[in-house]
Amino acid sequence: MRSPEEDTNDTFEAMVEVKLFATIRKVAGEKGFKTEASNVQEVLEEIYRKYGPEIRSEMAYCTILVNGRNIAHLRGKRTRLKEGDVISFFPPLAGG
Amino acid sequence: MLGGYMGRVLEVNLSNGERRLYPVSRRIRELYVGNKGLGTRLLYDLLPPGVDPLSPDNIMIVTTAPMTGTGAPSTNRVNITTKSPLTGAIVNSNSGGNFGVHLKRAGYDALIVRGKAPKPVYLKITEDEVSIEDAKELWGLDTHETQEKLPKEMGKLVIGPAGENLVKFACIVSQERVNGRAGVGAVMGSKNLKAVIAGGKMKPYIPDEEAYRETCKAWREVLKAHPATSQQLPSYGTASFINICNATFTMPTRNFKYGTWEETEKVSGESLAEKYLVKNTACYGCVIACGRQVEVQGKKVKGPEYETLGMLGPNILNSDLKAICEFNYQADLLGLDTISLGNVLGFVMEAGEKGLLKTELAFGKIDNIPQAIEDIAYRRGLGEDMAEGVRFLSQKYGGKEFAIHSKGLEIPSYEPRGAVGHGLGYAVSCRGGCHLQGGYVVYLEANGPITVDPLTTRGKPGLVVMNQTMLEAVSTLGCCNFTIFTMLMPKLLELNARSALVAKMLSLGFLYSGNLLGKSLSMPSWTIPVKPPFMMFPQVKAHAQCTGTNFTMGKFIELGQRSYNIDKLFNVREGFAAKDDSLPERLTEELQRSEEPNSRVRLAEMLPTYYKIRGWDQEGRPTDKTLKRLKIER
Repeated sequence: MRSPEEDTNDTFEAMVEVKLFATIRKVAGEKGFKTEASNVQEVLEEIYRKYGPEIRSEMAYCTILVNGRNIAHLRGKRTRLKEGDVISFFPPLAGG
Repeated sequence: MLGGYMGRVLEVNLSNGERRLYPVSRRIRELYVGNKGLGTRLLYDLLPPGVDPLSPDNIMIVTTAPMTGTGAPSTNRVNITTKSPLTGAIVNSNSGGNFGVHLKRAGYDALIVRGKAPKPVYLKITEDEVSIEDAKELWGLDTHETQEKLPKEMGKLVIGPAGENLVKFACIVSQERVNGRAGVGAVMGSKNLKAVIAGGKMKPYIPDEEAYRETCKAWREVLKAHPATSQQLPSYGTASFINICNATFTMPTRNFKYGTWEETEKVSGESLAEKYLVKNTACYGCVIACGRQVEVQGKKVKGPEYETLGMLGPNILNSDLKAICEFNYQADLLGLDTISLGNVLGFVMEAGEKGLLKTELAFGKIDNIPQAIEDIAYRRGLGEDMAEGVRFLSQKYGGKEFAIHSKGLEIPSYEPRGAVGHGLGYAVSCRGGCHLQGGYVVYLEANGPITVDPLTTRGKPGLVVMNQTMLEAVSTLGCCNFTIFTMLMPKLLELNARSALVAKMLSLGFLYSGNLLGKSLSMPSWTIPVKPPFMMFPQVKAHAQCTGTNFTMGKFIELGQRSYNIDKLFNVREGFAAKDDSLPERLTEELQRSEEPNSRVRLAEMLPTYYKIRGWDQEGRPTDKTLKRLKIER
């Protein structure tokens, strides 16, 4: 069942903020960008379009958060986006 | 003879200068192996309950493991076990560097230090002799100066002024690595022991050395191929976690009041790499090289780790990365644990703000921090009280609800209201508020590639037991915890990232079978006689070959369980009980985010199940049945 925040019109595109981290940022050459997208898959496609094939290997293992929540706990790449959402992309990290 | 061991444990009594070889049976070596496991067993056997940790009666034990110094990658950790002056509980403090390798080259697996020297001394251990040397000229020097004055070719453990002045969270430094937590440096200081140095040319016997070398080579390849250990750690060090923790509400901010801060990016691993990184550094024999070298005051020095960045950054509302590099360097020179330091500073800032004590320290104000750090190390002014840690401060001035510790040990840089299972780990950890001995469940809840719902308590007790067991086993084998990332095979991570269904299944699988997974680790070792996949658990095969024993996955798990239970048994004997497995009210009662009703650590929902899975009674004491299963003799 969709949560109210996910249950938006399929065709509605929201202005969202994309943040890239660690080696993904290194390959992209920038910290992120703003784009219009209705779901996470569209953001991913925009990343591939913007940074070319080189970014694909960096994205192979990546963790995607929407407003700090892992999309595995939402609707995966079909997670709908709303105006002002922050979508963060992290490679598999280690530390601490 | 078991392979990998030097076969000798040195015992030195500093009160009377007596030296002897302490006998350790083959059975104890097989059951407790080395590092943390062996250290705890020895302390349990040698230290009677009720001893004042800073008295000559306390014992400091330095342990290595069979694979130390044998060419296994990232496996040269050195462990220091003692009774903590900060907590009164057991402390095992683990570090990289090279001291363990040098101690074995001198011919010893472990060192037991008793008593108190009548004047400052250092201990020199070579294959030819063991001598207690006058340290008059070293006393008062910082950790760098002390190491500079000692023979270059030997391994060193040293303390700085903080250890000499018995600061309760003083650390021990070796090269630039640190045995940081719970005041092991103060114990060394209380013995008038400024340094231990060791060196020689001895090598342990390894039954089938050629096969072992091949295994180590393959193991290095596994680490070099894994995205976490081959890319992220070398590129950003442990600091790579800063941004993801901030994004997932697990970054302590303003003395753990909040879990995220808009300025955090400025002190991240990415910012460190971009602005200050000179080069990577590595512990002896490590292929990962997660260490950072930065330039401070014109000198090339060790850069801050994740914990330091979090605790001296967002936790005190400081976004000045250069300043953190300088504070880190200053703390290392003086010999202070930066986790406790950041936590103490945060507490004092909040207590000052609330009018509980008088101080110029304030959130976001950093110009007076160097002076505060120095005052702690030399116990001047308010520094005298700050040197005792946050538990003492809250008892003296009030503010227990925001004194962020467990069992007296200041909690490190993961805000547990953003990952409640991690909070359970802090509460039950035998050495007190520790992310590693707590099981590091935040990796499964927030900052790892495969995550479960971070705010539910379902399955968390079992996941804490599972992670604690694995980390404990890895640590006892002498391996760096980063070798554990091999358990998350790249193919699995790729599948998890590519398929929403797989990610969901893994997430729910961990959550719903978490307690079962934890319980399954209590199976006797003979029920799991398998050799695990090398790509996932190279440590097991390597240890078996190094020692020439039939070390299986079952024995690996049992080792982790046994090692954790002997820790617990030590604390129980000292009077610790379920009431001590606790957290401050800020973490258990206050919501981190008003819109998230589950953003607090509901300990009461998790503790009974945790004890049950562990095979402990509801007071948190291992039952006789559990001890018998694990072959632990009281």
